[in-house]
Amino acid sequence: MQVIENLKVKEKLYIEKLENGLTVMIIPKKGMKKKYIIWGTNYGSNDSSFIVPGETEVTVVPDGVAHFLEHKMFEQENGRNSLDVLTEIGVSANAYTTNDHTAYLYECTEHFYEALDEFMDYVQHPYFTDENVEKEKGIIGQEIMMYDDYPDWKVYLNALQAMYHDFPIRLDTVGTIETISKIDKDILYKCYNTFYNPSNMAMVICGDFEPDSILQEIKKRLNNIKSNGEIKRIYPEEKEEIVKEKVTQNMEVSRPLYTIGIKDKPVDTCQGNSKEEIVKKHIAVEILLHLLMGESSNLYKTLYDKGTISASPSMDYEFSRGYAHILISGQSNNPEEVYQAFKKQLKEMKEKGINEKDFNRIRKTLYGDYIKEYNDVTDIARMFLADYFKGINSFDYIEQIMTVNVEYAQQILKEVFNENKMVLSIVSL
Amino acid sequence: MKYQIKEIKKGIKLHLIHNEKFKTNLISIFLTTELNRENVTKNAILPAILRRGSKNMPTQEAISTELEEMYGASFNCGIDKRGDNQVLKFYMESINDTFLPEGEENMLSHTMEKLLEIVFNPLIKDDGFCEEYMAQEKNNIKQVIEGKIDNKARYAIDRCTEEMYKGHPFELYKYGYVEDLEKIDRKELYEYYQNLLKTCKIDIFVSGIIEDNIYDVICKAKEIQELEDREPQYVRTNLEVIPQNHEQVIQESMDVTQGKLILGLNVKLDNEDMQYDALIYNNILGGSANSKLFQNVREKASLAYVASSSYLKAKNNIFINCGIEIENYEKALKIVKEQIEQMKQGDFTENDIEVAKKGMIDAIQTIDDEQDTEIMYFFGQEFCQNRLDIEQYIKRIEKVSKEAVLQIAQKVEIDTIYFLKN
Repeated sequence: MQVIENLKVKEKLYIEKLENGLTVMIIPKKGMKKKYIIWGTNYGSNDSSFIVPGETEVTVVPDGVAHFLEHKMFEQENGRNSLDVLTEIGVSANAYTTNDHTAYLYECTEHFYEALDEFMDYVQHPYFTDENVEKEKGIIGQEIMMYDDYPDWKVYLNALQAMYHDFPIRLDTVGTIETISKIDKDILYKCYNTFYNPSNMAMVICGDFEPDSILQEIKKRLNNIKSNGEIKRIYPEEKEEIVKEKVTQNMEVSRPLYTIGIKDKPVDTCQGNSKEEIVKKHIAVEILLHLLMGESSNLYKTLYDKGTISASPSMDYEFSRGYAHILISGQSNNPEEVYQAFKKQLKEMKEKGINEKDFNRIRKTLYGDYIKEYNDVTDIARMFLADYFKGINSFDYIEQIMTVNVEYAQQILKEVFNENKMVLSIVSL
Repeated sequence: MKYQIKEIKKGIKLHLIHNEKFKTNLISIFLTTELNRENVTKNAILPAILRRGSKNMPTQEAISTELEEMYGASFNCGIDKRGDNQVLKFYMESINDTFLPEGEENMLSHTMEKLLEIVFNPLIKDDGFCEEYMAQEKNNIKQVIEGKIDNKARYAIDRCTEEMYKGHPFELYKYGYVEDLEKIDRKELYEYYQNLLKTCKIDIFVSGIIEDNIYDVICKAKEIQELEDREPQYVRTNLEVIPQNHEQVIQESMDVTQGKLILGLNVKLDNEDMQYDALIYNNILGGSANSKLFQNVREKASLAYVASSSYLKAKNNIFINCGIEIENYEKALKIVKEQIEQMKQGDFTENDIEVAKKGMIDAIQTIDDEQDTEIMYFFGQEFCQNRLDIEQYIKRIEKVSKEAVLQIAQKVEIDTIYFLKN
């Protein structure tokens, strides 16, 4: 196993790519009682058009299959549901789907290996029937409706739809009642066989483990499946321009919700960007966002004192295969005013340049934030998995942060924070 | 992990949770006072005012800049309802010296000083809080109160609680009431704050890699020296007060796509010790993916995505929560009631008990893996007649028998059925 040590946060990562292509990462945490394992496939709601290895035809499946598959994976041929079995063993199991990956996980303090039998068995043995697929449509239908009542989800999704013309990030992860109605067991098997191949998957384990012995336990439980070669994913060509600048939806909320989006060019590793550059860019964007609208910024103070906002917005840089964008979200009586003030502040920073003292202070803050991410085994494992599918080793953030300087940030400010790529999404009464 | 309690003054406790496994140190200060209509809104606005500025860091920017320099130490405050008490909560978290790039900085003492300063040494102008901050924060709290409707699932549970506890302190909303906000005056609020500091229960928690001198740092702090001994005014968990609504049905309409069905149940316990049996009862009813509610409402009938229950220890209520298609109200309610009835009939197995115990014990063992969870656990013990440490808690759960759970089932009754529909 390869060992990567980070001396600043004082943690080690053990990483091994097995013969069948599966990547296993282990982060030992001495003294922690909680043990956490997460097994993910590099397959999310964005991947609905692809060429199966060995085939030449493009396969197109309805939206929402990745998430549907996640729900159905728990069903077993013996009539049991693996979620129940794992709960009976005494561990807490779950799964989730994002736009670029799907993950299965459990956490526990005891019975880890007993649960590992069931866990690795169910992820490797799908069992879909016409009947169990139909039944799931009712449950997922309720999940879709639950999200319909979340204004924060709506304001987020609308911002993506204002930015993207065709790229599937603009769609709801769970699909719609209409698209899921078209899903059947054959589609599920096809997607499973394509994307749940070990070479397209990664596993992260975090807790008080001895790396070599846990790796042996994993290997023992793996089915003999060969690496199936590269899956060609087909994404629609996405224009650089946004769709429209503003979008408003009416919902019963006490106070308008807003999301400001800035569309960026995708940061694909395969297209010449080294992973160091992706990480550096991500760090620079985060520092810039803090400088522009963080709690010590002028903009924040002005808007707060006027009562336009009452808390600092959440600010994120989201990116994966084929897309990248900035999102700033919060609540305000007057989202339009927040939007205009943000644009003005941006213009001012571009003209005056970045204040070095402020820059250094925010960089310190961010350093602390990265360190804090290593408190909890769940956070650590999830972070390593999500970053891995983006081609990143999570330690890189701590390693790279001090190399990000004012000049570089200045350059990112010019490149990424482009006024013509900005959108404003509002949910209000 | 090592846990120590030291009494700093009468009614003021320092709780030290020594734990080497975290990157951060977390300090919390809790001010606990009786919940009542007269003061609920004042208590709600206080943390918001205090976080705006202190004597030596008079603006939010000053505080933020200071915290950013401390490698992004984070400050947080909030308000909680714990049984018939209101708790004003203040947190500050910072990186432990070991993980700072430039080594030794004495971050913990520094963090303690800052937090004490914000909570106990506010910015005062002309015998009162700053008028500008008052006006802004009143407005912010008003928005929080009006924002109740935004999270429909939470709103439905709050509404059910209000209906159950009509006329009791526990019906009060923790953020208070808009009509009371207007009346709060900056000088009067400052007077109230000074009085609160004389009478409330004060708990200071420190979790992390704690240096030996922290006790002295706190005792010598000017803010602490100025506080007096007190007979703290708060309410311990009471088993006597029970809502008497006997299956009242409340239906309300709002712009929702999905109906939210909430059942508020009373659990009439004879003594505090039975709470642990009630925890297992709740786990079997709706506390996990194996529970009766999840299995029957979601998996078998395919009626819901969310179907669960939670046990509120401080008031001995169970709240059942289902998100359903509006037209399925009768169907879902019938299935939910059947599950409660089956519990009364003893229609659950030894295996169900074992599964519930395993799940609970697993969760209890991880209390020590998260600093804020651990702090909240020990803080919760302050309200109990008998304190249990984590080991004793696990032992008590292991002891729960089928008879004991069956006994709880007989003590459960539906108090209120609340449905939020279109």
